[in-house]
Amino acid sequence: MKDVVLRSLHETFGKFGDMLLQFLPHLLVMLIIFVLGWFVAIILKFVTRRIFAFVRLGKLSKDAGLSQILSKADLPPAGDLFSSLVFWVVWFGFLLIGVDALGVPELQLEVGKFFLFLPQIFVALLVLFGGLLAANFFSRAALLAAVNANLPSARLISGFVRFIIILLTVAMALEQIALARSTVLITFAIAFGAIMLALAIAFGSGGRDAAHRMLDRMFPPSEPKKEEERAKQEEISPL
Amino acid sequence: MQSSPLWYKDAVIYELHVRAFYDSDGDGAGEFKGLTHKLDYLKDLGVSAVWLLPFYPSPWRDDGYDISDYTGIHPAYGTLDDFKEFLEEAHRRDVRVITELVLNHTSDQHPWFQQARGSRDNPKRDWYVWSETPDRYKDARIIFTDTEQSNWAWDMSSKSYYWHRFFSHQPDLNYDNPAVREEMWKVMKFWLDMGVDGLRLDAVPYLVERDGTSCENLPETHDVLKFLRQRLDENFPDKMFLAEANQWPQDVRAYFGNADECHMAFHFPLMPRMFMAIKLEDRKPLVDVLQRTPAIPAACQWGIFLRNHDELTLEMVTMDERDYMYDEFAKDARAKLNIGIRRRLAPLMESDRRRIELLNGLLMSLPGTPIIYYGDEIGMGDNIYLGDRNGVRTPMQWNGGWNAGFSGADPERLYSALISNPLYGYQVVNVESQRRSEHSLLSWMKQLIRVRKSTRVFSRGTMEMLHPLNHRVLAYVREFEGEKILVVSNLSSQTQAAELDLRHWKGTVPIEMFGGNPFPRIGDLPYLLTLGPYHFYWFRLRQL
Amino acid sequence: MAETAQLSDEFIRQLSAVGEVDVLVGIPTFNNKDTIERVVRAVQIGLTKYFHRDRCVLINPDGGSTDGTPEIFKNASVSDFEIMLTSNPLRTFHRVSAPYHGIPGKETALRTMFVAADLLRAKACAILSPTSLSVTPEWVESLVRPAYRENFDFVAPLYQRQKFDGLLLKGLLSPVVRSTYGVRIREPIASDLGLSGKLARHFLEQNIWDQDMTAFGLEIWMTTTAIVNGFKISESFLGPRIQPVPQFGQDLPGTIRQVVGALFKCLEMHESYWLSRTGSESLPTFGFQYDIALEPLKLSTKTILDNFRSNIDQLVPVLESILTPATLVDIRKMIDLPDKQFRCSDELWVKTIYEFAAAYHHSAINRDHLLQALTPLYRARVTSFILENTKAPAAKLEQRVEELGQEFERQKPYLIDRWSAKAGGER
Repeated sequence: MKDVVLRSLHETFGKFGDMLLQFLPHLLVMLIIFVLGWFVAIILKFVTRRIFAFVRLGKLSKDAGLSQILSKADLPPAGDLFSSLVFWVVWFGFLLIGVDALGVPELQLEVGKFFLFLPQIFVALLVLFGGLLAANFFSRAALLAAVNANLPSARLISGFVRFIIILLTVAMALEQIALARSTVLITFAIAFGAIMLALAIAFGSGGRDAAHRMLDRMFPPSEPKKEEERAKQEEISPL
Repeated sequence: MQSSPLWYKDAVIYELHVRAFYDSDGDGAGEFKGLTHKLDYLKDLGVSAVWLLPFYPSPWRDDGYDISDYTGIHPAYGTLDDFKEFLEEAHRRDVRVITELVLNHTSDQHPWFQQARGSRDNPKRDWYVWSETPDRYKDARIIFTDTEQSNWAWDMSSKSYYWHRFFSHQPDLNYDNPAVREEMWKVMKFWLDMGVDGLRLDAVPYLVERDGTSCENLPETHDVLKFLRQRLDENFPDKMFLAEANQWPQDVRAYFGNADECHMAFHFPLMPRMFMAIKLEDRKPLVDVLQRTPAIPAACQWGIFLRNHDELTLEMVTMDERDYMYDEFAKDARAKLNIGIRRRLAPLMESDRRRIELLNGLLMSLPGTPIIYYGDEIGMGDNIYLGDRNGVRTPMQWNGGWNAGFSGADPERLYSALISNPLYGYQVVNVESQRRSEHSLLSWMKQLIRVRKSTRVFSRGTMEMLHPLNHRVLAYVREFEGEKILVVSNLSSQTQAAELDLRHWKGTVPIEMFGGNPFPRIGDLPYLLTLGPYHFYWFRLRQL
Repeated sequence: MAETAQLSDEFIRQLSAVGEVDVLVGIPTFNNKDTIERVVRAVQIGLTKYFHRDRCVLINPDGGSTDGTPEIFKNASVSDFEIMLTSNPLRTFHRVSAPYHGIPGKETALRTMFVAADLLRAKACAILSPTSLSVTPEWVESLVRPAYRENFDFVAPLYQRQKFDGLLLKGLLSPVVRSTYGVRIREPIASDLGLSGKLARHFLEQNIWDQDMTAFGLEIWMTTTAIVNGFKISESFLGPRIQPVPQFGQDLPGTIRQVVGALFKCLEMHESYWLSRTGSESLPTFGFQYDIALEPLKLSTKTILDNFRSNIDQLVPVLESILTPATLVDIRKMIDLPDKQFRCSDELWVKTIYEFAAAYHHSAINRDHLLQALTPLYRARVTSFILENTKAPAAKLEQRVEELGQEFERQKPYLIDRWSAKAGGER
């Protein structure tokens, strides 16, 4: 009896030991890849930080209004953030490669899917970034136009423009990574309407007088005095 | 001489001063005998008539225009026989002779005036214009502004004023008196009988005066001329009257009458504008004056000239134009005299051969009979340090030798100093040296006159002005009896291009008249011509 | 030598017919049929009266008018010479009109004129605005004579202005040019001006023509370039300046954007010149000067100030990117001032402008937006100035303008500091 148990244990441990011995080199490889990857990721992080400094990413993100968002969210500045992102992506990639080296087929499949997914994420991030830039630009333009046309609630209009554009951007980014496709369609419809509205405002303030005349023809003014005053102010020639 | 009633239209006239031309008897001044010697020169030059400045007995206080005997010859110039011989020799060479008839006034040394001022009852008294006060004819301007303050002069002997439009020693004749008219006709007949071909009527606008008028161009003056012309036509049908009337073109027109007054008249306003156009490098002054020149009767002719024995008169220009001319042409104030500039052609053109040629080209191609002033054909200079207008009446420069070949007398005896500066002096500018070169100004002038005389288009033709966009180019077409000549002149000192609208003459071939070379046929497109500085073209437009 | 690829054949033909000139007058047009005839007649009389011995030409580069302006130009004539002048003109009067190829606009018109000046070897030129209702023949003489006879290269006009006319000029453009370029020029943007042929050729040789400059940009570029390159500058008094009634309200934001933008652009172009300059010098003046016209002006300040208060509030996020915190605080303090005591001090105004200039240089935000953000501040300053000087006599007004100029000069080191600070540096 004792012999059978001992022999069985011996066999089991022996098998286990064999399995372990078989597995160990893979594990070793995986660990080596992990370490190597970490170094590569660090180097790339350093390099990308330099590149970002070179292309003045800091300024661009300021223009995009990203810096403000990040600082409000207590996040590190854009350059650092992106280089950290690069670090993590690269190292995660290496981690996956390491896992792949383990030789487990199901895991390998997932790893493959991940790498296919990577470019989509990159594009989505670009779209997001561009969208933030555009939102900032157009909302500011709307704000200035409205202010200079002495329209009330200029900030409201400006915020609205920003909101619409960000919404569209987010929707587009999500579509890029293939999340909630139909939502995007609806969002786009709404966003388009918003753009039309923004244009109407721009026309209204820039071609204000033409619009004025049109409206006057349609609805005779109830307060002529105010128009006179406004016109009087504009009569002083600045040049 | 051949009889040809319109000879004056085709003539090329040469104005000269007998005293200044050639001295054959060594007394320091020219005379008729000397002039006769030089007739071959004139014939060779190509001129067809000479106009002689006054040679009558005179105290010479106005270079012979103050006459003390209308039917004599001043002894300094010779005798009446000398003159007759000269006439004969001139006619033999087909050169006609035009003399001066100073109608308006005489010298105060004339016997008529001596008698008239002798007493108020003298029959000749009424031959002049007298007044108790200097207040009559107040609106008449003073002509010799540099020397005279008034048109009236006080006569001590008869204690009254006499009228003189010119110098005070030249009392005006009274043409309201028929006796005066008859006498002047007699004077004319005297010379015309002798063979003189034409009479230059000096100072005709001023013959008659009336109160309340400018005393110029009065109808009564024209009546006098009509009277004289009628006598002329009756007795001498192919002789000619040449009026000297320094007036605006429309006023000069009156002196042609209905072809019943003068045959010719000087075109005074044209002359300064030719100089102005060249200085401005703009044809506007010329085009303006030509446009304002009225049409004249068919038998009549303008007399055009560049310079003459008087100052370059600026009476018939505006104030601005006068200032411009003074500033450009009379930088030395000494050159100004009365209302004009007393300089010869060459100095006015700064001795620029091209400009001299251009002006002569215009002279020979504009409508009218050209009159050349003696010495201008060789580019003689002037002397503004001599008084009055004597600076342009210096001795003719025949060669570079003793007294410029003008006289054998001692230089101190000459009636006037010679021009002897390095630029215009007789050593440089003279007939002999220019005769020897085919490329001298003299040779060129001969050729010019030859070409001019080769056709009657210039002397008798109509003129149609062209208007190329380039204002520096003056272009016109002369036409007569189907013959057409295109004249294009560059008035500027730089090369110019001009496009001419010649569609009216489409299909003809321009033949350049000096070289005889054909140019491309005229088509529908604007005709492009390029001209060097101050260059001009004469093209005969032939149907080929 | 001039590049003539852009001149039409017809134009070149007309120019060759004119040949060398002494004086060239140009009137660039674009749909000015109501006012062009008067200007042409004034020029023709002016040239005949004052330059009758000189070779002159009047050029009209037209930007493709559709209202018949070029025909009016060709046919405008003076028939009453004898009444106006003592004599007939000596020379042919040349009038050259040709549409120009290229984009319609003042830049092409000016370039065409300079090319013509170069080709015709003009000694002096004058540019006249086709819309001046108050132009006289004397303007031609006043603008040309200093360049033609007195050896000046650039002749800026001086107008007799209404009291509160041209406050953008008086309050911003002129004093900034004064403090930076060191020249006290009162009309740095002029549509009527005189220049020497030498300067015209110099302008032609610059690279500016391929860039996209607006009309105002070109005018201020001409002025500053002339200053920077050491050309002799003078001012010449012309008289009152009356323009046709502006079409239905001014586009103030647009004007500011163009004009101030042009000014800042020039500052960038010429920074090596003005960063090291100190002080300013006044210019020799020709002509007899009249005092400012003192027409009273009714202004409804309440509306403007109400607008200002709400506008500044809303613009704070934008202004934060342009101005220093201290300046922004001072501006916001103005919001609390009651209407009657509303004042924008010279000091604050100068600081604001300089900070705007530096922000423009560093492209702190989009430049277009930056300039638009200036409009409400300008309006506030104008209102403050008018309120302060409603009853002021001419002398006091002149003095205020001079004080402002001195303030701009005094704060120049501040401008230099902010301008030269590293991009994105500490604010």
